[in-house]
Amino acid sequence: MAISFEKALTSGKFLATASVDPPKGTALEGLGQLLERLKGVVDGLGVSDNHQGIMCMSPWAVCKLALEAGLEPIMHMTCRDRNRLALQSDLLAAASLGIKNLLCVSGDHVRFGDHVDAKPVHDIDSVHLLAAAKGLAEGKDMAGNALEAAPTLFLGAVANPEADPLEPQLMKVDKKIRAGASFLITHPVFNMENLKRFMEQVKKSPVKVLVGIRLLDPEEIATYRNGGCPGLFVPEMVLEEIQGAGIEKCTEMAAAAVKEIKGANLCDGVHVVAPGHEERIPEILKAGGV
Amino acid sequence: MIVAKRKPFKEIKGLVSGSKKILVLGCGTCVAVCLAGGEKEVALLASQLKMALALEDWDLEIDELTIERQCDREFIEEINQKVNVDEYDLILSTACGAGVQLVSDVFDHKPVVAALNTTFIGVAEGPGVWTERCRSCSDCVLAETGGICPVTICPKGLVNGPCGGTRQGKCEVDPEKDCAWTLIYNRLKKLGRLDRMEKILPPKKWSAQQHPATVIHEAYKRRYE
Repeated sequence: MAISFEKALTSGKFLATASVDPPKGTALEGLGQLLERLKGVVDGLGVSDNHQGIMCMSPWAVCKLALEAGLEPIMHMTCRDRNRLALQSDLLAAASLGIKNLLCVSGDHVRFGDHVDAKPVHDIDSVHLLAAAKGLAEGKDMAGNALEAAPTLFLGAVANPEADPLEPQLMKVDKKIRAGASFLITHPVFNMENLKRFMEQVKKSPVKVLVGIRLLDPEEIATYRNGGCPGLFVPEMVLEEIQGAGIEKCTEMAAAAVKEIKGANLCDGVHVVAPGHEERIPEILKAGGV
Repeated sequence: MIVAKRKPFKEIKGLVSGSKKILVLGCGTCVAVCLAGGEKEVALLASQLKMALALEDWDLEIDELTIERQCDREFIEEINQKVNVDEYDLILSTACGAGVQLVSDVFDHKPVVAALNTTFIGVAEGPGVWTERCRSCSDCVLAETGGICPVTICPKGLVNGPCGGTRQGKCEVDPEKDCAWTLIYNRLKKLGRLDRMEKILPPKKWSAQQHPATVIHEAYKRRYE
């Protein structure tokens, strides 16, 4: 059994985390194999919640599998698909299965997904969800009612160091920290200057920061360029570099980014996302020196 | 004001199918201003229907009438002074959804159908352009957000700051549109009130927006008790 993600974050070690997407359907064999590959490689494994508005299996089921495989799951929870009742009840359900780490997100808009006519819920936002989860951990629901037994939770939030303008993003991050976030997972970062500017502000608080690294896919260049991946701002220079390249070259670039971020000694770890190529996550981390 | 758009002509044609005589009923207030359902648009729609149906040898008699407001009984009652509603098989209303329903309540022995899709509460930005500004949520946060509504302008209705998708001050959902929270940040900064943005706004009280809502003015409460 891995040490808890919370303990790992306070250990002072530079952490390796990653994210996976649950299957669209009930096929779990491939995912099971992936979890085996990631065991002992990552200190925490994010499991997305209908990522980009694409309908998939609920993340708690995959988090449970990850727990059984000896991994420390970080369950993503989006405010896009559930109102405050559903968010709290799903959170309690997950906690009852042993899932403690929660990443509270607003969620990508449904227009990026595969159910574009769905009603985006957004009853509450990510700041509220953090506060609600903190309240549950303290034994009270959002309406102030006492719980019979309180869940144990470790809360995190998302931030984008490359948001432009950055100032409103920093003010939101500050609210997330005040609401209960103990760790931040950032959107993928490509510009170190932006990361430095972000970290200068964020490091004034005790929050732990895991910086996002994205394995780019040359076949997705058009999507990156036309804004089809919300919050992912790939510089034109990088897009030109991967034009016509293979996935190996992109893997090397992701590993180089891991190495650069680790070497800069700015943050507490990295968070690798490699949509469609998750089997490459161990290689990226190893080559990146984590 | 309420902004509406005319339904596709094919759909409207289907709505009046089987009728022999109809009244196209316009509304002279919001939908007239947004060029969707006032007197001119009623004339245009009636002409378009006449021409299209003539080509199909469909003998449909169409009368036109526009009243000041279809969302007020006082004005709807004028209709019978100007036309005999009993002569029509159907009333094709070019009012917003509220107006269509009140006309339908008053003339509940006649089918009243909507020629428009009611779209939003908004403002005129310039000739022919209207933008949404209010979701009528009954729990207004404008005092805290520099007079810019995040519930309406942000596609996610986020009340505590931007999502992570802001790029050059534009919205990730539609890069043609400004990010609501960039606008709010800039406005509050200009006003010297950025401290407002540091405050965590509580979850919206959606209970204030119970549907169907009713508002009774204080002065009239005793009358309706």
